[in-house]
Amino acid sequence: MSDAMVRWPVAGRLIFLLTVLAVGGPGIALAQVLEGQVRDEDRQPLPGVHVYVAALQRGAVTDEAGRYVIGDLPVGTYTVDFRFVGFRTVTRSVTLGSGRVTLDVALVPETVVLDEVVTTAEGQARAALNRAVLSVSRLTPKDLEQLRGQNLGETLAHLPGVTTLSTGPSIAKPVIRGLHSQRVLVLNAGVPQEGQQWGGEHAPEIDPFAPVRIEVVRGAAGVEYGVGAIGGVIRLEPRELPTSPILSGSISFNGFSNSHQGAGSVLLESGVRAVPGLGWRVQGSFRKAGDARTPDYVIGNSAFEEMDGSAAVGYHTDRYGVDVYYSHFGTELGLFKGAHIGNYDDLLRAIERGQPSIAYDFTYTIDPPKQHVRHDLLTLRGHYDLAAGDRLEVQYGLQRNRRQEFDAHRRFGDPLDEPAFDLTLTTHTLDAKLRTKPRGALFGVVGLSGMNQGNVNTESGYLIPNFRALTGGGYARATWVREPWTVEAGTRFDYRWLEAFPRENREEGFVRHTHAYANVSGVVGSIWQFAASWSLAVNVGTAWRPPGVNELYNFGVHHGTAQFEIGNADLGGERSYSLDVTLRHVSERARLELSVFNNWMDGYIYLFPEPEPTVTIRGTFPSFRYAQTDALLRGFDALVEYHPVVFLTLGARVSVMRGDDRQADLPLIFMPAGHFVLSSALSLPDVGVLRGSQIELEGTFVSRQTRFPAGVDYADPPDGYLLFSAGYRTELMWGTTPIRLSFSVENLFNTAYRDYLSRFRYFIDDPGRNVVLRVQVPLGVLEV
Amino acid sequence: MYTTKLRATYLVYTVTFLLFAGVFAACDSTEPDPEGPGEEELITRVVVTLTAGGQTVTATADDPDGDGANLQIDSITLAAGTTYTGTVELFDDINGEDITEEVEEEADEHQFFYTVGGGIAGRVSVAVTDQDGNGLPVGLRFTVTVTDGGAASGTLNIVLSHFDEEPKNGTDRSDETDVDVTFPVNIQ
Repeated sequence: MSDAMVRWPVAGRLIFLLTVLAVGGPGIALAQVLEGQVRDEDRQPLPGVHVYVAALQRGAVTDEAGRYVIGDLPVGTYTVDFRFVGFRTVTRSVTLGSGRVTLDVALVPETVVLDEVVTTAEGQARAALNRAVLSVSRLTPKDLEQLRGQNLGETLAHLPGVTTLSTGPSIAKPVIRGLHSQRVLVLNAGVPQEGQQWGGEHAPEIDPFAPVRIEVVRGAAGVEYGVGAIGGVIRLEPRELPTSPILSGSISFNGFSNSHQGAGSVLLESGVRAVPGLGWRVQGSFRKAGDARTPDYVIGNSAFEEMDGSAAVGYHTDRYGVDVYYSHFGTELGLFKGAHIGNYDDLLRAIERGQPSIAYDFTYTIDPPKQHVRHDLLTLRGHYDLAAGDRLEVQYGLQRNRRQEFDAHRRFGDPLDEPAFDLTLTTHTLDAKLRTKPRGALFGVVGLSGMNQGNVNTESGYLIPNFRALTGGGYARATWVREPWTVEAGTRFDYRWLEAFPRENREEGFVRHTHAYANVSGVVGSIWQFAASWSLAVNVGTAWRPPGVNELYNFGVHHGTAQFEIGNADLGGERSYSLDVTLRHVSERARLELSVFNNWMDGYIYLFPEPEPTVTIRGTFPSFRYAQTDALLRGFDALVEYHPVVFLTLGARVSVMRGDDRQADLPLIFMPAGHFVLSSALSLPDVGVLRGSQIELEGTFVSRQTRFPAGVDYADPPDGYLLFSAGYRTELMWGTTPIRLSFSVENLFNTAYRDYLSRFRYFIDDPGRNVVLRVQVPLGVLEV
Repeated sequence: MYTTKLRATYLVYTVTFLLFAGVFAACDSTEPDPEGPGEEELITRVVVTLTAGGQTVTATADDPDGDGANLQIDSITLAAGTTYTGTVELFDDINGEDITEEVEEEADEHQFFYTVGGGIAGRVSVAVTDQDGNGLPVGLRFTVTVTDGGAASGTLNIVLSHFDEEPKNGTDRSDETDVDVTFPVNIQ
């Protein structure tokens, strides 16, 4: 036992002191060590991979560099399993003689069908080139470390084709190729996130420290994911639970200077020795920020605080597996009061002033106007391997989203105690799919899904009426692989029934309305790997979306935009036809992905300005009514990465698009301008206790949007801007524990700028310089 | 002949079907309670009362639903060469509240701004006669002076500004407007 203790990292010893545990008895001739590194198909190291020698009941988890070490092993020949969620499990046989044996392994994603386990560079390139028919980005847990502590919108903003719709420093929503909110589906642990996402200032309720891989699909992914995915999908998939009885985890802490924000998270996970195949994980995180600063002034009341947590338990055998996952998200966030305007004249004067009317002092206090949001999710997932080798997966999800918004204008009651509106959205979802085992060159998926959703107002302001929505769908998708071709085709049918209770007028009160929508979506795509390091993917598809309850029944002033929004109960659904072409290149020195998209959206729903403003006692409000037109969104996203020498990476990302109203022959409003990013990363040699050090520099240029419909917006799009950031990251070896440190500066030169997709750009600048410190300490690998 | 594997497969399919049925059957009504919480308090009616000698002129701006759908604004008819004493009252007819008192209590956070326009611009002037605790004007009470002359028409705009964080200085409007209504005015 004392020999084993010497090998434990310092943090591991700390856990031992806090926990009572029994370690197995002494073994015989235990001097062999098995070690190695695990990488993915892009040659990137994979942390968090579970390495397990079943016969000896010994294992390890790969560290942040993808390395693992299992010591004290007896001589012999054993099979070793390498498991990681989203990747095909690899089993290798290893013979331990005397001393150290190195076993390096490459893991390949599950979605790619290959005949054999891939370790060659050629095979890994093949996997990357044939990844998907649509343009997809992946963020591994390692990528996410560098982005920790930010909300989901900010985290994804670095990806090509993704921009951010922000409402002040605390609220950011991801925009994929100009589409967002109800057109982009966020899939959280397999469950579609339902939380009043129609609101431009309603950010996705996602824990920034959740231990997930993130995959972003650009373009309509309607066949597998249903009507909410007409613009794209953001998939957050939790890491697989450990099965080896090794207690591990991590503690993270982030500090941000601009808003004096502190954020942290603790994670613990382990298998259970007494029950092989059982594993669990608990995780908790918090964020607290004060007011943000632009280069010239404090953005009053932009503080926020957040507390999130999750727990997961799973049991897996050869034939089946069951997972239970619960997560809680809770936030209180303030909105800059100067933007919360309820009268058109006030709005014009605020725009002309261009900055807050009073000078705010920094504080952590959150006053109205503010939002208080809680989101609870419980999901049960099971999979079962049928006799023929096909796999059946069933997932049930229950979500409860409670959103309260406190209005500073509501003063003739008691503003601080009572919210202006209080919405509870309860959603049950159920998905069942059958994945067939490859038969010859063909494999596929058949699925059914259902959703039952109810929305209830419990306060006086009926921003969106009470409603019940039932959705059901069925789909089938088949993939045929015969090198160098992959061909995929799929189809889906969805039905939605909606019962809503809008308030007609003062006398009639609430009136019941029902709607039913049904439609079909389909996709055909192919990938042609026309050279060893090149592939071309072409995808043609059609998808649809029924109108949202807000688009049908909104009626009232939208604070912050001084707009009187009028819903339209006669709206039909949206239908999109898309053509996407993606060129990929993967080689030793370089990586390229160029994706061109064309998206014809018939029945595109948007807010159309009415000729006459609405006049109330409070003043005059420009009126907007939800209308439909035929739109065309097209553009391209490109990503290039090049290593002229091994220790230097040069990169570039470009996203350009245009959106047009085909009927009116005018540009669409609020389409993102061109984004151009140049980056470089220099790897430094290991020095003393610092290893894996890297310096990064990045410049981002966002151009001025010149294509917009004249006379509709309150102010023309702002000027383009250029921002720089710089960072340094390293691994500090504290004994044998690698502590990851990173220090970076965003908006290095404290540039004052406004983004076109910032809803506050009429009133204030975007935040200025932000110095960020990130620390992550892995909590050792400890046998339980 | 049911083998164990076949039985398990059928069990899985049955459970899945039942779960689907369960999800769609789980239906609490979302029908709203008509006797539930009322509308938030907002001003739906503004009444201007002008008195001169024995005569009283009243004009009401009424927005019964609070959303402008049935907004009715009366005209104000003034006699030339007269000075009126005026008061303004505010009501919330949705909740049956008299808002005037609340504005009176929070006088140092409110101010009425009166602006004449159109053909009566040189003929009519409005002067606020009340003050709050800091000596700044409020505007619940005011005088309207009409000069001699012929008939004319124009407008009187009444704005109620609320000063929450911004300081009230007696001259500037705030960013928070509770009332912004324009009455047509005729001088006879």
